[in-house]
Amino acid sequence: MTATVALIRDTFREAFARKIFWGLFGLSTVMILFFLFLLRIDLMEGGVAFVSAFGRINGTRDVDKLVRGVYGGIAAFLYTWGMFLAVFASAGLIPSVLEPGRIELLLSKPVSRTHILLGRYVGNVLVVSCNIIYLVLGVWTILGIKTGIWSPLFLISIATTIFAFAVLLSVVILIGVLFESAALATMVAAALMVMSLILAQTSVMLRLLSSEWSRQIWRTLYYSLPKIYDLGGMTLNAIQSRSFDGFMPIWTSALFAAVVLGCSLLIFARRDF
Amino acid sequence: MASEYAIETSDLAKVYRSRWKRREVRAVDGISLNVPRGTTFGLLGPNGAGKTTFVKMLLSAVRPTRGNALIFGRNAREPEARRPIGYLPENHRFPTYFTGAGMLDFYAALSGMESAERRKRIPEMLELVGLEQWGSVRIGKYSKGMLQRLGLAQALIHSPSMLILDEPTDGVDPVGRMQIREVLTRCEERGVTIFINSHLLAEVELFCREVAILDKGKVALSGKMHDLTAGKGYRLTVGETPEALVEAVRAKATSMASRNGFVDFQFASRQLANEAVDLLRAQRCEIESLAPTTSTLEEVFVRTVAK
Repeated sequence: MTATVALIRDTFREAFARKIFWGLFGLSTVMILFFLFLLRIDLMEGGVAFVSAFGRINGTRDVDKLVRGVYGGIAAFLYTWGMFLAVFASAGLIPSVLEPGRIELLLSKPVSRTHILLGRYVGNVLVVSCNIIYLVLGVWTILGIKTGIWSPLFLISIATTIFAFAVLLSVVILIGVLFESAALATMVAAALMVMSLILAQTSVMLRLLSSEWSRQIWRTLYYSLPKIYDLGGMTLNAIQSRSFDGFMPIWTSALFAAVVLGCSLLIFARRDF
Repeated sequence: MASEYAIETSDLAKVYRSRWKRREVRAVDGISLNVPRGTTFGLLGPNGAGKTTFVKMLLSAVRPTRGNALIFGRNAREPEARRPIGYLPENHRFPTYFTGAGMLDFYAALSGMESAERRKRIPEMLELVGLEQWGSVRIGKYSKGMLQRLGLAQALIHSPSMLILDEPTDGVDPVGRMQIREVLTRCEERGVTIFINSHLLAEVELFCREVAILDKGKVALSGKMHDLTAGKGYRLTVGETPEALVEAVRAKATSMASRNGFVDFQFASRQLANEAVDLLRAQRCEIESLAPTTSTLEEVFVRTVAK
């Protein structure tokens, strides 16, 4: 336990020193301040007035809809830019541990390689989690105070965003262990995010593709790669109390992360330093 | 499980292969070595002899191609085997975001030390290596010698039973070197096994009781220091001696040198030295001294590696 805590604390310390933590914290703060600014100029009242002016039923239901819309926008932001920034910021934390002169000393300690890598992984997830929790809770509190509507469903985005980040981080770890390149790790993770958007159009694509083998390839890619876009969609639906089609994006993405992390651990355990 | 050896390796080998396995480099080629507990052991060899790879295999940073290594009787691959080891790598890169105390705290925690114990040991260790004023300073500000001393403190903090030190005095000034030697001497007195990988032969000769010289991945020579450096010959020193007698003794000697009115003769064997003594005493010449001479470790090293 002492070693685990030390490895996690070390990740935080490095994230602080590289200004990664403070960078993400600063961006989250800017976003919260932006909402505080909206609160000051009474945009919510303006929004309510706008909704009323177009003749819809006035009252709490419309405000609730507007608030849920704002929450949805924030969740979408978290799933795109927020996720990319988190991956970009974290990508260097794995290659830095593998630097010659540093890794030998780590490996000389009575800690298994699996423990070292998982310690870094968990530490990295926690660094990003702190910022996600801070941002989501901050925005939720501001909007709650302003509108009096406390939608706990928005808080689901904390769990789903952290989960999606943890899935992408497993890829960052694999690339880090294989090639020790932060830039390549970011590129691959970003490519997976983009691919998840394309692959999510499965129902359309399966109709458009002419041959069975091409449809099979599409399905294989869809089911085997992480579904960041689908997870975002699920979160959005949950926030807006809409139904969604099962939990398949969650468990297939979790399986993907487990396999990729398992491969990373295996490669790391067999590597010479 | 208790073994009389701190390190036991049998047929330990590491072969590096190129990407397409067309070329292979035998970095370590079947090393069998036993390092007794409590000794000070020096590992020597020219560049590329396989010293660092051998040490890395002991620490499981490199996987052996064949053979095995035991640390205090435990397979070196097990993380627990590394618990009694304190290690100082040669080209260490301690993360510069640490302060001296923070760095010691991190590595001590990885060695399994509890928080209260760490809090007690860190100031002691900083004082031991003369860095007590520097504990709260980021190590990015440290000089190379200070980093080396901090690295030694890191290796010692969990009171290990064995120290593995790769060029421990590299970049350290003479005073710092002496401090490090003093620290290591105290460790030796406490029965800590000290395994040094160094290029500084004079230092190894001064400090180590046993040595092994690696060459081309194999053990070219190993043994106790006094055995390896002993047996070179005998030195006879005489005072004023008639010229003819000097020439007669010179004929038996391998070399002769004059200094401050004395003449030194070097003999290859005890018998030749005794014959020279007989000659000199027969002419009532005064003998100043007669003593066996030893090779320096450097001479032994050069002879071994040049073969």
